[in-house]
Amino acid sequence: MPSQLVTTKLYAPPHRSALVARPHLAERLDAGASRALTLLSAPAGFGKTTLVAEWSAARATPAAWLSLDEDDGELSRFLLHLVAALRTHDAGFGEAVLAALNAPQAPPTRWLLAELLNALDALEADLVLVLDDYHTVDSADVDAALGYLLERLPPKLHLVITTREDPDLKLAGLRARGELVELRAADLRFARDESAAFLREVMGLELAPEDLAALESRTEGWVAGLQLAALSMRGRDDVSGFIRAFAGDHRFVVDYLVEEVLQRQSDEVRDFLLATSVVDRLCAALGQALTGNREAGALLDTLERSNLFVTPLDDRRAWYRYHPLFADMLRARLGQQGPEPVAELHARASRWFEAEGEVAEAVDHALAAGDIERSARLIEGAWQAMDSAFRSSTWKAWVERLPEADIRSRPGLMVGHAWALLNAGEMEAAERRLQDADELFEAAGDDVELRPLAGTAASAGAYLALATGDPAASVAQARRALELLPPDDAVGRGVPLGLLSLAHWANGDLAEAYAVMADAMDGYLAAGNLVAGLSGTFALADILTSQGRLRQAARTLEDALVRVGAVDDVVPGTAELHVGLAETLRERGELEAAEAHLRSAEALGEPAVLPGDEARLRVAIARVEAGLGRRERALELLDEADRLRIRTPMPELRPGEAWRARWWLELGRLAEAQAWMRERGLPDPDDARYLREFEQLVAVRVRLAERRRVAEADLDDVLQTLERLLGGAREGDRRGSAIEILVLRALAQQAAGDPDAAAALAEALELAGPEGYLRTFVDEGPALRPVLREVVRRKLGGAYARRLLAASDPDGAAPPPLPDDVEPLTEREREVLRLLASELSGPEIARHLGVSLNTVRTHSKNVYGKLGVSSRRAAVRRAEELGLR
Amino acid sequence: MPRPPAPNPRPSRSDRYEIRVDGHLSDRWADSFPGLRLRRDADGTTVLIGEPIDQAALHGVLRRIRDLGLPLLSVQRAPNAHP
Repeated sequence: MPSQLVTTKLYAPPHRSALVARPHLAERLDAGASRALTLLSAPAGFGKTTLVAEWSAARATPAAWLSLDEDDGELSRFLLHLVAALRTHDAGFGEAVLAALNAPQAPPTRWLLAELLNALDALEADLVLVLDDYHTVDSADVDAALGYLLERLPPKLHLVITTREDPDLKLAGLRARGELVELRAADLRFARDESAAFLREVMGLELAPEDLAALESRTEGWVAGLQLAALSMRGRDDVSGFIRAFAGDHRFVVDYLVEEVLQRQSDEVRDFLLATSVVDRLCAALGQALTGNREAGALLDTLERSNLFVTPLDDRRAWYRYHPLFADMLRARLGQQGPEPVAELHARASRWFEAEGEVAEAVDHALAAGDIERSARLIEGAWQAMDSAFRSSTWKAWVERLPEADIRSRPGLMVGHAWALLNAGEMEAAERRLQDADELFEAAGDDVELRPLAGTAASAGAYLALATGDPAASVAQARRALELLPPDDAVGRGVPLGLLSLAHWANGDLAEAYAVMADAMDGYLAAGNLVAGLSGTFALADILTSQGRLRQAARTLEDALVRVGAVDDVVPGTAELHVGLAETLRERGELEAAEAHLRSAEALGEPAVLPGDEARLRVAIARVEAGLGRRERALELLDEADRLRIRTPMPELRPGEAWRARWWLELGRLAEAQAWMRERGLPDPDDARYLREFEQLVAVRVRLAERRRVAEADLDDVLQTLERLLGGAREGDRRGSAIEILVLRALAQQAAGDPDAAAALAEALELAGPEGYLRTFVDEGPALRPVLREVVRRKLGGAYARRLLAASDPDGAAPPPLPDDVEPLTEREREVLRLLASELSGPEIARHLGVSLNTVRTHSKNVYGKLGVSSRRAAVRRAEELGLR
Repeated sequence: MPRPPAPNPRPSRSDRYEIRVDGHLSDRWADSFPGLRLRRDADGTTVLIGEPIDQAALHGVLRRIRDLGLPLLSVQRAPNAHP
């Protein structure tokens, strides 16, 4: 569900005719309209907004406008309104970003910003975007995002920012590159002739020169002061006397003038102004609710016409707001009437907004009224809507303003707070809150009404346990959630079901993981939610593949693609389906079809990716790319995935680092792969957990590659590790795992001269044959061929074995031998190699080894030959790359 | 006896501050600056002074001053009566 779009924020304040022409400032703004950023940074009341609005309206193409407020500190809300503002000029702008912001889970910021930059790159005409009142945002997230955009800003977009304080946007760099135009208080202040024109044209006042001078020196060209002074002088007989008194007074300018202005209003207007100052925006109905005055609409018109600091927020003049500075002055005066009347006004505002369905403002005013009971009730009721609108952090801030005792007395607040804390990554605080909630549920006994809420709490507990690495506790919590949640709440039950499946998966219980995930997906589909209902398909296919059910995995993905194809819109998750299918097709040797699905996923682009899946999908694409021989590309994709990764309870069964090590190995970069292996402390025969299986198998490959270098290396740890993993795979009926483990065992046994190698491979063939596995065997390259030949010779594998043998023929269509297939160096050759890397000359090396120079030359030549190089330097470099020391 | 030097301000610590702004501010603004008194000096400036406040509260006061458009003249740490 989208964060709610407030369209009045996209409305540029209307400019009145007869404003003062300020051509020198308009020129500066014109200059800024060809740079990246124009910054208007000055205190309240210097006419920043008016100046920009007036300048924009006079342009052939007015600027896109965004009035910011405190709520825009939430980045997704800020970006939603930013895109919406740009769409007022270019209706099709940023579809992908908008779709992502409207998706049920927020995508990573990096992705959003990259996509936004793409959209901005595609702008056809120059466009000015005004971000008004930027100081209200006050968010490091928004500063960082905007700074990122500004550094890379496409030339067509020009930003104008108005603010009361300099934003944290690396202004020095922009200034140095000539990409910044600045207008500050000194530039904005009204010169004497401008003050005169303002008073004459806008306020209808003609002053004597000495009065003008006195007024100017007192207000220092501050236009809010000028306007207030003019309002105070209107209709006065003794204008000079007023100015003399004003100039001689020490009071804060606005304080003095607002007092004067208010005194000159009728009681009706003054009461209206004071009472309505409690709200940030105002319409006639709300004005009437606050004051009881039936003429509120007419009053608002009057206020606008008499320049009483009220600005319409839309074309229909339904909504207004006061100039923030004026509103502050009014509130200070209202505050003097004591706390009760102010609280009463906030209470009225809260009731009115609640009746209008504007929950956020209803809550804000209930809190301001100090009505804890009302606040707590409203906040509790708002959780669902706020959470699905990505406003969980705003909701969290509300809750945290309530007294602890009131939070504890409402289970809905406690459970919502726990989820809000989880969303914010505050795991410890979430845990404490869930404990509080549990105590309350226990004390309540088996209260039927509390059951769904207790179920939601258990869901949160399951999420927490899985995200903090305790799958067993997660299973227990998820099961409890499913007991408690109503059977007809398919969407609510989807959360614990999904978590339960992930926990089983992480534990290696794939059959259970599959059954539970399929159940959750059926529930979503039955409830008519296609996106959620297909969101688990990729995981289901992955589970099936690990179970060695390659054909069923392909069918599952194909069926889902048919469902997606029947829908007109791009369904998020479709890219995952294509990539999953590409991997199964690649495994079966259908390389062209695999390529085609990979390209389909690419062509669909980011809208076809489930938010949150960006990193996982890139790893999956990388896997197919590497399998098709493009390992460098695969490594790039891993780097991209690292940038996009967010914390989720998804088990990390195949960490990117392990893939990276595997591809380093295949690229002959043994040293880097070894470093990874040592850092991970693998292979470890004592750790048979499924969660580590993939990493262990990569480490086994590293050890086998080492063995190919150093013939006498010991493989006991490798064989033990494989034995343990194989036991686990058989126990959990993970035939896909077993196939790979058996292939590696055959290779290890072959290297160790064990005649049982053929038997191990034959067992793998038995599992793999019916499912059409091919690349798992062929990709092992020439190393596996002798074992395959032995299987064929001993008639252990039938036609399938012969087919694999033919497919792995290096003279056939098989991939070229991998660069790590170097003939092992002898002990003496390695010693020579080590000395070649030193500063010693040839004769010195000979002396060192106690042999003749000719013998050294012979060894060197052999080393060069095995490494495929022709010089000492190249040999040293190559040895370095291969991890030979 | 010489007084020990005042320790440097730390985020966790509260100090008394004197915040001087231009213009005389009426007492109605006292509510806007909880815990602070307003002292109007003869030179046409106002000093906000009161209970010790920590760094976060000090920044809150400065922000409020910004929003009211009050010209800020100086911020000084005052000698602390009860260290």
